Order: sequence, then structure tokens, then C-alpha cells
Amino acid sequence: MTTTALPVQSSTSVPATAGRPRRPRSRPLAAGLGFLAPFLLVYAAFVVWPVLQALRMSLYDWDLLGFTRQFVGLANYRRMLWGTEMTWTIGHLALVRVLLLAATAAVVARGLQRGSARRSLIAVAAAGLALVLVLGFHPGAGGAWNDPAFWASVRHTLAFTAISTPILVGMGLAMALALHGSHRGTGFYQAAFFLPYVLPISAVTLIWSYLLNPDRGLIARVVGVVGVDPIAWLSDPDLAMWGIVLTTVWWSAGFNLVLFLAGLQDIDPSLYEAASLDGAGRWQTFRHITVPGLTQVSVLVSVTQLIASFQVFGQVYIMTRGGPGDSTRVLIQHIYEAGFRDLQLGYAAAVSLFLFTVMAVVSAVQFKLVSREA
Amino acid sequence: MATTSATPPGAALRAPARAAERQPLRRRLRPGLYHAVMLAAAFVWLAPVLWMLSMALTPNDALQRETVGLVPAGLTWSNFVDVFRVGNMPRWFFNSFLVTTVTTVLTVLFCSMAGYAFAKIQFTGRALLFAVVIAGLMVPKEALFIPLFLTFSDAGQQNTYQALFLPRIAFPLGVFIMTQFFARVPSEYAEAARIDGAGRWRTFWSIMLPLARPAMASLAIFTFVLTWNDYLWPLVISTEREMFTVTTGLASLQSNFAAATEVGSLMARGLVGSLPLIVLFLLFQRQLIRGITLGSGEK
Repeated sequence: MTTTALPVQSSTSVPATAGRPRRPRSRPLAAGLGFLAPFLLVYAAFVVWPVLQALRMSLYDWDLLGFTRQFVGLANYRRMLWGTEMTWTIGHLALVRVLLLAATAAVVARGLQRGSARRSLIAVAAAGLALVLVLGFHPGAGGAWNDPAFWASVRHTLAFTAISTPILVGMGLAMALALHGSHRGTGFYQAAFFLPYVLPISAVTLIWSYLLNPDRGLIARVVGVVGVDPIAWLSDPDLAMWGIVLTTVWWSAGFNLVLFLAGLQDIDPSLYEAASLDGAGRWQTFRHITVPGLTQVSVLVSVTQLIASFQVFGQVYIMTRGGPGDSTRVLIQHIYEAGFRDLQLGYAAAVSLFLFTVMAVVSAVQFKLVSREA
Repeated sequence: MATTSATPPGAALRAPARAAERQPLRRRLRPGLYHAVMLAAAFVWLAPVLWMLSMALTPNDALQRETVGLVPAGLTWSNFVDVFRVGNMPRWFFNSFLVTTVTTVLTVLFCSMAGYAFAKIQFTGRALLFAVVIAGLMVPKEALFIPLFLTFSDAGQQNTYQALFLPRIAFPLGVFIMTQFFARVPSEYAEAARIDGAGRWRTFWSIMLPLARPAMASLAIFTFVLTWNDYLWPLVISTEREMFTVTTGLASLQSNFAAATEVGSLMARGLVGSLPLIVLFLLFQRQLIRGITLGSGEK
């Protein structure tokens, strides 16, 4: 369609410009900057500048109402990351640190195998070891974190990410596999599974707050038929996060479905033909063609999902306000409330930069994965 | 079975016989079973939306007495009529519509221009600028709402439309998508235009943009959905009820006491607030999905 429009376009432009001399393209710099100017302007103002501004604010005691703007050095960071009576022990968070160490070793080993640049491998190793080392610090006897609510919100965010990511990725993959192939009507099923993704988050929470309601919800009614007592999903501190996860899975599994389906369609069809020529069964075909063909996209989806899960906010804030107690309070809520409830923009900026750093690192990994593929 | 020609002769003799026994039954049962399972799964998946619709069609007082199933109890349209008569919903709808449309148009335009410059104009510093923009892909917007808020509040721009749409336009992913697209357009098109005496702007406007229509459509739909559903930034920057969007407005209703007594009205509002996206989705599902796969860097 677009290519047929082309000759028409150029032939109509001929009479209009025939009399004029050809314009020499002598100033590509001006042209390039001209085309880039509108984007670069908003980019500088609303992406680059806020990063610098956050760095500055995090060094200040910066009141939302503008009464105090006082330089305090690293006090905000000390409040966020430090505590009283701090000690360092080898056994603190042992499991997490051992896993981290193993992950670092795995990445470096793989890099050595593939002959990656030595410098980047050293950087990865150094960052991993430093993190393992730093995680050994914690408040000793009689001490406490300066801001325990910050650490609680980090824990809840990590818990949400750890629970929701495998479920969301697994669901997306399962749906994609179910839809892949030449069945008729898959378009309809795909639309059904994908539809919730386009709903505004507040419409999703509206439905799910009622669905999960133990007295009036549809879920309680359905399980009631089987004789199971209704579960008070959102008012039980142990279950609230699962209620949020359930809501999130329904809302965004379709997104992963789409990515996996694209990945499945990218697998060279001739591989399947060759397999069937060789008399491979369904399982063998799946095991030796589909699975390896999906490795790259699976990693990509997982990392994308990790980034998305780490910024969870809307569903939590609307459905539970971080409760009951603070059992579902996540990092962005901590930032939001530090800034707009406690009016401490400086501290909020420091916590923002913490989130920023974590997410930028994961995004960098994702970017590396994508650009390696391209 | 064309495959038998490639298998050993012995197998070729036995295989058709076995296939002839088994195939008809399998052929008849398999698709039926597949569709039964998939239809059930799709129904369960959509049940929450159907339940929402059922509640929206049920009178509020009936909902206070009992829980309805997927079939409404006592059909009424009044919940839907009230969406546009009672409360701020029409205003929020207008706000969302305005902000989303402006954001989408400007994002697509700016990203297309930038993508064209990066892909088709050779100028000094191009690689460096591109690296700077690509670095923006790694900047999480959700971690920047505190300094962004300060920028707008210092300028006295809280509760304005420009505050709602400006930060959204800076969308490095869009530039990435459009650059990828333009890089694949053969340079002969631009050459032909140059020979015709068209300037760069004209080449871009009347040749490149029409060529880029599919990519622009994907970016536009993707941007529209993301912007309409944006929650955190409107929550931060729009504090007056009149300046809420559909997304933040609906959220504000849920913490309200009316949430307990006017469930039907609430569900109707949720459905109406989602309607533009549902319609858009049904019309442009393909473009949206393409936008997502392009944006993930997969293609």
C-alpha cells in the first residue's frame, strides 16, 4: 500500500519544483539537529534534567512546601541505608549472598567462555563481590535501621517481584504454546487473553477488589459451591500480596503472551519440516526445536517482567494502600509518601535514586541482551 | 502423508496402515477437545469483565442485598446514564481524551523526526547523540516523579494539561523504534526525491512519513494505551478533582464510601472509562501487538 503511493507522490512534486535549481545538501548538521530539536528538547527537560535534579535534591533537606532547602551532604543516604549499632557478619542474609555470589560467578564464567571483554567482566565481578560484602552490614544488638519502613518496602517489592515474575512468565509461555500452531480461532483466544492488558489499572483494581471480597465476591461464591470457606484475600497480611499478584497476573499475562507468540513465530518453519521429515514426535520436536528457539525470548521476557514488577505501585496503592499493616507497602509507595505525606522531597529523591540504580542496572542487562541479538 | 517418501521402505509400508486406522478418530476428536478447553479458558479469563458488566446492569439496591453472578439481576441502564449525569466522570473523560491525544500525536511526530534524522542524515555527532538517547531507554520514568514534580510545581504548573502530557512525550523507546524502521528504508527513495529537487523537510513529510505509516500506527496505539492508563504521574501532578484523568478519577472513587453502596454505578464508570481502550483494541489489535514486540526490541 505504501509503496504504491510513492510514484504518485514524486510525480506530483515534479511540476512544483521543476523550475527551481536543485538544493545542495551542504549542511547536514543543521538539518540533523533541526529534525532532532523537538525531541531533544523534551528529552533534556523531562529525562536528563530530572536525573540531575534528583541527584542534587538527594543532598538537601528539601521541604515540599519550600520552607527549608538546606544542604545536608549524605544525610539522606545515611538515613536510608544505615542504622545504629551497625555490625558486619558473614552469616547475615547468607542465602541471598551465596546466591548472588553464584550468579556473579556464573556470569563471569560464561563471559570467559565466550571471550567477552576482560574489562566488563572485571566490572561485573567487582560489582557482585562489593554487593555481597555490603549486604553483610546490619544493625547489631540494641541497634536499628534508621528507616526500617524503607527496608520493609524493599522486601515487599522483592517479594512481589519474586512471586509474580515466574507466574507471569510461565502463564505467558503456556498461553503462547496453547495458541501456537494452525488451529482456527486462535485470534479470538489471543484477543481474550490479551484484553485485560488494555484496561486502566483502576478499572482492574475495581473488578478485583470485588472479586476477592470474601462476603460479596464471585471467587468466594464459586469456591463456596465446593464447600471451601471464603478467603479474606486483601485483609489478611499473609495473603494480601497474593491477592495483588493474582490481580497483576490477570492484568498483564497477555503482554507476555504476545512477546512469546512473536518468539514462536520467529522459529524457522523449515526446522519443524525437517523434524517431521526425520519422524520426530511431538515431544521431541518441542524439546529440540521449540525450547532452544525460545531461550532468547524467554530471557528477554523475564528481564522485561522483572523491570515491570519492580515498579509495582498502582494495584497496591488502590487495593490495599500498602496494608494490612504495611504488608504490601512497596518501594514506590515509600517514595510517594516520603515526598507527599511527609513532605520530605530530599529524602524521597534519595530513595528514588536507589530505585533508579537498581532498575537501570537491570535495564542495562536487558539492553545488552537485545543488542547482542540484533 | 508426504513424509513417508523419506522414511525407510519398511516403515513406509507399515505407517500408512496404522495412520489409516488412527487418523480419522484423532482428527475428529482433537480440534473439538482443543476448542472446548480453549473456550473454557477464554471464558474464565473474561469472566471478571463479564461480571463487571453484569453488576453495571443491576440496580444499586439489588447489589446491596445480594451478590449477582454473571447474569444481571433486574436489568437497568440507569447506572450507565448516571455516568454522564452525576459526578466528574465526563470531565475526567475529556481530560484523558485531550491529554492522550496530544501526547500520542506529539510523540509520534517527534519520534519520527528524530528517527529519520538518526537513520538518514549523516551529520557529525550523530552517533554520540544516538547513544545519549539510547541511554534514556535505561532511565526508569517511575523513579523520576519527585524531581519532575518539583520542576512543574516550581513553574506553577500543577493541575494543568501541559503538566500531564509534556513528560510523556520524551519517549526514547519511540525514537528507537522509528530509527530502526527508517534504517531499513532504502536510501534510493530519498535520492529520487532529491533529484526531484525536494528539500529534506519535504522528503521527510511527503515520502518518508507515508512510508512509515505502519510503524507510526504501532507507536501511536502503544502510546495511546500507555498514556490513558498512566496512574502515578497524574496522581502526583493533578491534585484537583477537575484535573483528574479517568485512571486517577476511578481510583479516587474506590476509596470513597460510595464504593460500598453504589457498586453498580462504580462498575458502569469502570466500563465506560475502559471503553475507548477496548474499542481501540478491537480495531487495532494487530498494530498494538506489533508496537509491543517492536518496543521490546524483539524485532
